[in-house]
Amino acid sequence: MASPSSALARPPVFRSIGRSILLTLPIALWSLLMFTPSFRSGGRDLAIGAVLVVVFMTSLFFLMMRTGETYRWRRIFFVALGFLFPVGFIASLIAERGTMSIPISRMVSGDTPFCFMVTPALILPAAFARTIVFPGSILPTASNPHSIAVMIGLWFAFTLVLGKAWCSYACFFGGMDEGFAAFGKRRRLHRFVTKYGSILRLIPWAILLCVVLLSAALFEPFYCIWLCPFKTVTEFPAVRDLETALQFGVFVTLFAGLVVVLPYLTKKRTQCGFFCPFGAFQSLFNKINLFDIRFDREKCFDCGLCQTSCPTVALSKESVREGKTLLNCMKCGACVDACKKDAAVWHLKGTPVGVKPERARLLFLYGAWALATMFGGSILANSIATMVHWLPLK
Amino acid sequence: MEAGPKGPEPCERLKWAEALRLAHKAVTSVTGRCAENRYTMREMAALPLAASAGEALVLGLTTGPVCLASCGPVVLPWMLVQPKGIGPHSRQLFLFLAARLAGYMVFAAVAWLVGAAIPRAWSGRSWAYGGIELLLACALVVYAAGWPRPGRAPSEPSPRPSIHLVQIGQTPRPRPSGAVALGFLTGINLCPPFLVAGVRAAQLAHLSGALFFFLCFFAGTAFWFLPFLSLGFLQRTPAVVTVARMVAVLLACWYGFSGASLLIERIING
Amino acid sequence: MRRRILSILAYTGAALTLVVAASVPFVLMGVFSKAIAHAGLHIDAAYSGGTVARTIDRGGYKIVVYQPVKPRLLEPIEPFVQIVFEPADALPARMNEEIDLDGDGQPDVRVSFSLPSDPNAPLRGDVAALNGKYISLTDMGGESFSRMVVRAGKQIVVRIPLNRDSARR
Repeated sequence: MASPSSALARPPVFRSIGRSILLTLPIALWSLLMFTPSFRSGGRDLAIGAVLVVVFMTSLFFLMMRTGETYRWRRIFFVALGFLFPVGFIASLIAERGTMSIPISRMVSGDTPFCFMVTPALILPAAFARTIVFPGSILPTASNPHSIAVMIGLWFAFTLVLGKAWCSYACFFGGMDEGFAAFGKRRRLHRFVTKYGSILRLIPWAILLCVVLLSAALFEPFYCIWLCPFKTVTEFPAVRDLETALQFGVFVTLFAGLVVVLPYLTKKRTQCGFFCPFGAFQSLFNKINLFDIRFDREKCFDCGLCQTSCPTVALSKESVREGKTLLNCMKCGACVDACKKDAAVWHLKGTPVGVKPERARLLFLYGAWALATMFGGSILANSIATMVHWLPLK
Repeated sequence: MEAGPKGPEPCERLKWAEALRLAHKAVTSVTGRCAENRYTMREMAALPLAASAGEALVLGLTTGPVCLASCGPVVLPWMLVQPKGIGPHSRQLFLFLAARLAGYMVFAAVAWLVGAAIPRAWSGRSWAYGGIELLLACALVVYAAGWPRPGRAPSEPSPRPSIHLVQIGQTPRPRPSGAVALGFLTGINLCPPFLVAGVRAAQLAHLSGALFFFLCFFAGTAFWFLPFLSLGFLQRTPAVVTVARMVAVLLACWYGFSGASLLIERIING
Repeated sequence: MRRRILSILAYTGAALTLVVAASVPFVLMGVFSKAIAHAGLHIDAAYSGGTVARTIDRGGYKIVVYQPVKPRLLEPIEPFVQIVFEPADALPARMNEEIDLDGDGQPDVRVSFSLPSDPNAPLRGDVAALNGKYISLTDMGGESFSRMVVRAGKQIVVRIPLNRDSARR
């Protein structure tokens, strides 16, 4: 897949192979540690999936070290995660109940797997009424291992490390619109996005506030019921009346528009950057995260390449002049790789900007890639195992 | 609680302050804090009114969260588009609550005049509820309308100041008409506690009693809106104001959809 | 000096971040999960059915009667009472049972359904209200959270809507 800014990006600066291997070693060992149980007791299909994932993740990290680039290699993993997650998930639904739709019986028995995207909507009812407005189960059960406590615990642990980089290294939905944005080279609606970007990137905050208010007022997960585009490729409440039919129509329309068509036309992650309320919520954690991306004003000559390359319009002329990104930066590394003057750099808060940026990058990437391997890698392994299972292999 | 004796003239001639004092006395006597429970003839005539006032106040306080859930999504974005500061916020909130009180008084009068016909008119509630939600949606859109035109610098004034309340880069000028419209429409919004209060008010002997009942009910619910004053401390960056306007439009879409679907369902089901 | 101290703190924080990342699958995720589990939270009654009022033992199977569930704030559900028959395998093929829901000794509803032999086949049933507090259901499946006769795993879940006037009391 072509990178939208590949023609504009600076040429990679290669690190020696030996040094790259040395830097990759911790990730290789971590991957082996994470997937050893799958080799031993997961069965043939899962073992194949685990081997492929270990090789895949380790290779990508090696390439990150070798080329000094982040965005291109991270995107390969992320898009693979986005497209393969539904494969494994839908296959498990079909195998279990023969349909992607959730019957109401599963909701009342607490068997709905918890999705982290509903987390902001749960806060007010939980705070004031100690009530979780989601038809799941608090503790894991045999029929629902993805319980609320497990998934929120996982999400919180990830967020401590990644901040909003969750949207670049963990979210198994974000890879879809990033993937569709990578198809084709021609950027359409570019002027529209440039002109209205300052407004478009505020929409997720408005949706977040609406979702929180209406979820608290109606005591239901408003986003899941009315607005989630990814219901189209995961599971959705069974259509049983006009209202649920309308809801399904909204899901499909949002998916087609925000995840497929608009990313293809604009080369931006339109669902993530211009709609997702969970992304807005996750942005808040950038305030406490130690890593960010900064701009060395002595090197920067305001060419605007960074803004063009940013997939979520997390940069503006004003913010670049101030030497920093906006709050919704996902730390994907696109601007750093695009900058020809090395003015955009990885940065550790509390250290001088532009001094040993590679060290900040490495410290960030080790944490992010370790978690990506653990979480995204296991999803990939399961999806590959599903595909291997259905392949006509003797 | 039974309605008071018919035509107790001293009730109507009582001043509101004395009625409130007696309401407090009635409530405290019920809770057992008052050692002596003796009343003059005049006080006995006023007691049902006082007890009704206490009941209304308690009803308002206990059902306030429902009112907040119903009206809060309207108030929050509206308050966020107001300029920073306790002064402007207090004025706008006062106007909003005053208009809401006016809506309460209108409903109280209607409820009392309709009286026993309310249960029969219950089925008509969907029409009123749906219509009010549609009007609320329109009011939210009107007062949140006015995006900056492409190419216009943020500091340029809006070409249509009558409805362009807010532009990115400018702190908005408060419009009393917005507070009044939104306040009145939320005031006549037929949420469940409102209807319960209406049924109770209709049972009182006099129109003034019904109005006073709703005044006390309003006081109980208004208490829950006081925390909105704290929004006055929030910094009004252009982003905050823009997000607030977007929220208003999105909520208008929800209210509009909710109201329209209610009306359509009534038309289909009869 | 200040810059040096800040840099030391920053790198220490970054190192701790790596430690946190490494501990996620082994320690941290479990700690946070247990914290959530012990936070005293419960699933909304519209989904869980509320709290158990009492259990009626019928020998081979039990009938669990729940407390009435009323909508919170503007929750778009009717007030209802949930009854659970469990285990489904031990139920007679044709159920026709009168049940006292409010504990006053008088039966309030008659629940009747036929269990299909295939556990995955859809279930439909009837509920006849024996007094004005409850609303009868005819040929009900899983229409809404307030009105249902469904098989949920090893249980048969029945939800009977309350008459709104009696729910208000």
